[in-house]
Amino acid sequence: MAVLKGALRLVLFAVAGFMVYPRGLAADTPTEDQVQAVFLYNFSRFVEWPAQTFATPDDPFVIGILGSDPFGARLDEAVRNEQVNGHPLTVRRFHNLAEVDNCQILFVDRSEIARIGQILALLDHRSTLTVSQADGAAQRGVMIQFATENSRIRLRINVESARASGLTISSKLLRPAEIVGKGAKE
Amino acid sequence: MSRSSTPIRRTLMRMIFLSCGVVLLVTSCAFCAYEFLTFRQSSIQQLQILSRAIASNSTAALAFDNPEDAAGVLTAFRADPHIVAAALYDAHGNLFAVYPQGLAVQGLPSHAGEGYTGAGYTFSRTALTGFEPVAEGSKQLGMLFVESDLNAMYARIRLYALIVVLVGGVAVSLAYLISRRLQHRLLQPILALAQTTTAVAERHDYTVRAARTGAYEFDLFTDTFNQMLTQIQESEGKLQSQVSRLNLLQHITHATGERQDLPSIFQVVLRSLEENLPIDFGCLLLHDDVSKTLTVSAVGAGGQDLARQIGLSPGVEVPIDANGLSRCIAGQLVHEPDVEQVQFPFPRRLAAAGLRSVVFAPLIVESQVFGVLVSTRRAAHSFSSGECEFLKQLSEHVALASHQARLHGALQQAYDDLRQSQHTTMQQERLRALGQMASGIAHDINNAISPVSLYTEALLEREPGLSERSRNYLTTIQRAIEDVAGTVSRMREFYRERDSQLTLERVQLNRAVQQVVELTRPRWSDLPQARGAMVDLQTDLADPMPEVMGAEHEIRDALTNLIFNAVDAMPTGGTLRVRTRKTGGADSEARAFIEVTDTGVGMDEDTRRRCLEPFYTTKGERGSGLGLAMVYGMIQRHSAELEIESAAGQGTTVRLSFPAYGSSVVVAPKAQQVIVNRPLRILLVDDDPMLIKSLKDTLQEDGHAITASHGGHQGIEEFSAAAKRGEVFDVVVTDLGMPHVDGRKVAASVKGISPTTPVILLTGWGQRLIAANDAPAHVDKVLAKPPRLHELRAALAELVP
Repeated sequence: MAVLKGALRLVLFAVAGFMVYPRGLAADTPTEDQVQAVFLYNFSRFVEWPAQTFATPDDPFVIGILGSDPFGARLDEAVRNEQVNGHPLTVRRFHNLAEVDNCQILFVDRSEIARIGQILALLDHRSTLTVSQADGAAQRGVMIQFATENSRIRLRINVESARASGLTISSKLLRPAEIVGKGAKE
Repeated sequence: MSRSSTPIRRTLMRMIFLSCGVVLLVTSCAFCAYEFLTFRQSSIQQLQILSRAIASNSTAALAFDNPEDAAGVLTAFRADPHIVAAALYDAHGNLFAVYPQGLAVQGLPSHAGEGYTGAGYTFSRTALTGFEPVAEGSKQLGMLFVESDLNAMYARIRLYALIVVLVGGVAVSLAYLISRRLQHRLLQPILALAQTTTAVAERHDYTVRAARTGAYEFDLFTDTFNQMLTQIQESEGKLQSQVSRLNLLQHITHATGERQDLPSIFQVVLRSLEENLPIDFGCLLLHDDVSKTLTVSAVGAGGQDLARQIGLSPGVEVPIDANGLSRCIAGQLVHEPDVEQVQFPFPRRLAAAGLRSVVFAPLIVESQVFGVLVSTRRAAHSFSSGECEFLKQLSEHVALASHQARLHGALQQAYDDLRQSQHTTMQQERLRALGQMASGIAHDINNAISPVSLYTEALLEREPGLSERSRNYLTTIQRAIEDVAGTVSRMREFYRERDSQLTLERVQLNRAVQQVVELTRPRWSDLPQARGAMVDLQTDLADPMPEVMGAEHEIRDALTNLIFNAVDAMPTGGTLRVRTRKTGGADSEARAFIEVTDTGVGMDEDTRRRCLEPFYTTKGERGSGLGLAMVYGMIQRHSAELEIESAAGQGTTVRLSFPAYGSSVVVAPKAQQVIVNRPLRILLVDDDPMLIKSLKDTLQEDGHAITASHGGHQGIEEFSAAAKRGEVFDVVVTDLGMPHVDGRKVAASVKGISPTTPVILLTGWGQRLIAANDAPAHVDKVLAKPPRLHELRAALAELVP
């Protein structure tokens, strides 16, 4: 019994330590990019990909970044040792469209927004969640767009695009977000 | 009854209530505890479910940093009014959102680190709090804190308490009703049983039985109790029969103890057995050790006919069989439960009379079997071992009582013999004393009447010119004097042994009887007829009768007295029988009897014992009390025997028994009267001047020369003086009893001087003197007073021829 209690106390201590550590990092107000990096990672938990997305169970879950990388090492930090349904999370950076390969989430930096039509066309029929921070990206067919309102980052989601790509976005994600495109309540 | 049962009722009620209450309490407690625990559990579960749902919905808000949305999600807690507070913390533990809106943050852990005890729910005194992790997939995004008050639980507890009270009340009421009913069913048999036991205990009536009630194990109890009662009843019965046998034994022992003769002891034993044991037939056999035979001594009163039928009447000899009787004679108690099976004569005889069970009990005294008590019953196997034992004990008692009766008989016999001899001795003593007294009186009377007798005789003989009248008078006087003398002599002599002077002759008793019957006819025939009574006199005379030696007139006198007595004993008439008979042959053993039997009033024992005493009379003034005394005197003088058989109201038989002639009886020579004609010189010596004068006068008239001297001394002097003068007296007549010098000395002196001179002794004791054979030497003749002139003359003629 005493051993059990001791073990429990150790676990509590460890959890408390874990809780305390990020709190020290968050002492500084996070930047917009930092928040967006975490969000990007969080999308992997609220979106469901079709079953045939992965050839093998060991295939990595890839977060691709097209264009200049606003997140830098923060994103790598956020996804380190993380998994999505058993698939290890990796970050791949694409400098041009031609490099874009098989990836589950593709962040399109606002620098590449001009070629959004081209990008979306390329990704058509691939189950890739497209995300961008460029204004009006959602209206242009990007599935999720970060928008800043009252110094808070809000999400705009083009449900139609996602559905067309065979992706299912959790209703939980949809509730606080703004729906864009056809069917949007505008 | 009800008082004693109250505790049972109360105890039963208490038991039922207590067990009911305990069961109820335990059940309620268990129920409450269970409910409490499950309620806590379900409270936690409900809170957990709600919290998880909220947490799940909060993930996006947390993940995408949307507090407004989080607050909106938290408002879903409104569904449960008991949730008083909720808070959402982000992954760093910072407060993210609260419920309800505007909740005072102070009441909450401001940071998930405070009060955070890991995921889980805890009850405090007033609230249930819990932390639920908020995670999407495997990623923990934050923490949800929720707090619920416990009002619901308390409300539930209050409800349960109310239910417990209600159920308890109903259960107790039901228990009361059921227990009353059960009590009735349980108590009824117990009370019934108690009533039975009370009846048994109070009335000692073991015949009652507890009724079966058909309830539970009570029947077993009742059966056992009844069985016990049956056993007690049996024991009681055995005890009762034992006690009754003991009582019977005691009764018989008591009854035999009161009796001293064997027949009555045997009768009372057999009667008691017949009536009380009971037996059908009982008899007592006496065993003769010498002849080795059994004789029926007594048969029970109820079995007389049966006894005659099977030949067991008293006196019958019973052969000793080789079986039971011989074993019984050997001292064993023999029990034949069924004589049908026995092939010996005596049991067969009993079996023939339908008597099948037999017990032979030996009567043992000093290790000798002197008899057998036979008890029989008609039914076979009907004597129990207890009864056999009883008969054995009884036989011991009977034997003891018989032995005592025999001893008592022997003792009584010895006592009677002793008393008889004492009585005889006393009677003889009394008669001797009376005789001596009578003798003295007779002496004086004889002296006194001597002159009367002498003068009367002399006058009648010689007085010339006596007128007829004078002669008659003198004759009467002479007869009266004779009677007086006769009475006096009888009175003096009745006690005496046979008088040798008594004139014995051959007497024919038959003739004496006939004479007396004739002579007494006026008394037994005429006088009673005058009174209107009738006496029937019958004579029954044996012929031939032996003669007896005796004085006929005495025998006649005795017979006369007996007839007078018999007539006096029959004042209203009756039968008077005079009978003679004989026994034996012609030898000296032969005896002749005279019996005088009347049918009169008889004598009681006391009278019979005293009737021979002189002066004892039952006739008052009429009787002299000398009649039977004289008869007794006669009997004594004749060496005869007197037997008197009498009982009050049964008449009297007097039997005189004489030795028949041929016995050694001396016959005295018969006196002959001789007249003296030669004048003699006679010396008279007497101290009584009247006698001297009368003798002198009468003898002088016969022509004798009389010299009288007063007293013995003077007489001797006269005689010696005369002798010296040579004028010796021809004869000396002297009195015997005189002061100083008596007749013996006178006679001795006379003979000393002149041995040839005869001496005649006159005495008032004359006959006794002769009877005692002490006639002094020197005396030639003894004459009784009053002297009769003719006797005197005869003596003178004899002595001086």
